[in-house]
Amino acid sequence: MEKKISVGIADMKITRQEGILITYALGSCIGVSFYDPMIKLGALLHIMLPEKGKANDTNVFKFADSGVKETLRKLTAFGATKRRLVVKIAGGAKMFEMKGGGGLGNIGERNAQNVKRILMAEGLRVTSEDTGANYARTMLLDVATGQVYIRSAGKPERML
Amino acid sequence: MAIKAYEEMNELGLDILKEIGTIGGGNAATALSSMLSSQVTMAVPSVKILDYNAALACLGDPEELVAAIFVEMAGEVSGIMLFVLTKEVSDEILFRMLGKTESELLELEEIDSSVLIEIGNIVISSYITAMSSLTGVNVELSVPQLAINMLGGIMSVPIAMMGQHSDKIMMITGDFKIDGKALDSTMLLLPDVESLNVLMKKLGVE
Repeated sequence: MEKKISVGIADMKITRQEGILITYALGSCIGVSFYDPMIKLGALLHIMLPEKGKANDTNVFKFADSGVKETLRKLTAFGATKRRLVVKIAGGAKMFEMKGGGGLGNIGERNAQNVKRILMAEGLRVTSEDTGANYARTMLLDVATGQVYIRSAGKPERML
Repeated sequence: MAIKAYEEMNELGLDILKEIGTIGGGNAATALSSMLSSQVTMAVPSVKILDYNAALACLGDPEELVAAIFVEMAGEVSGIMLFVLTKEVSDEILFRMLGKTESELLELEEIDSSVLIEIGNIVISSYITAMSSLTGVNVELSVPQLAINMLGGIMSVPIAMMGQHSDKIMMITGDFKIDGKALDSTMLLLPDVESLNVLMKKLGVE
């Protein structure tokens, strides 16, 4: 039985060699998978909001900017090299049409845009993505192979 | 004494919220009773202040496909109201309202969706009307929307909304029973922190 490691909301997990990192039901949130194939090191990050509102917020994995930065710092500490990293993203759906909520109406889209902008600024390229639309996605990263799978309701599991 | 975070709420405040949940939920149950011509009751509501993942875990399997009716609250009290139905409850409602026996959540016809939205609308409006008359707050409700999706994905919306300012969310939940059967449907009131201060002030709690 393969080891499954669950990644919560505003959370990130790293593992090496084997095991499956999984984050359930990404709605407007974004799942970002990082994989260094050379050393079989993988990380899965689940962010919720595009950027830090207040500087003293300690929950780093809640936001795209601090979440990506902290994940890269940890990956590097474990021996990953940025230019080898394969990065994939999923989520950023628009679950409801919202009008108010302080510009939250399109939080999914803003999350997706910001994650991509931040990854680009870090010199990383998103090799594939499954974002937008109006349905939730579960994202899995198989650390043994580096393959990423997406599950959503009423659709067969597919490779990203 | 205004609070800045959910966890600063004291016992008295929590009791008041529970009372709001009881009265709102009772009113909603009555409305649902007459719509479905059956006896609908609501269990004693609970007020929970949890971090995101615990909140999700206490509602059920994040990947479960559910129907949710969503309304945004604005005005003196802002936040989100959700009426979450499992397939079982949606089937029961569609059977009672339209005589349908089998329906797949992902293949609902337009009429089915309209029925679910209307039920959600009535349940949520009755809840909020009761809350408004109890506390004297003015609440504007958005047009209700229906989403058929994974529970976790639906909950990401209020979590993201509250999450900008808080690492926890507050849920005032109530579960309905239809004709004595505990059918899994949950009413969720998710106020923001500022709204709690408004409610407490209106009720003279200092």
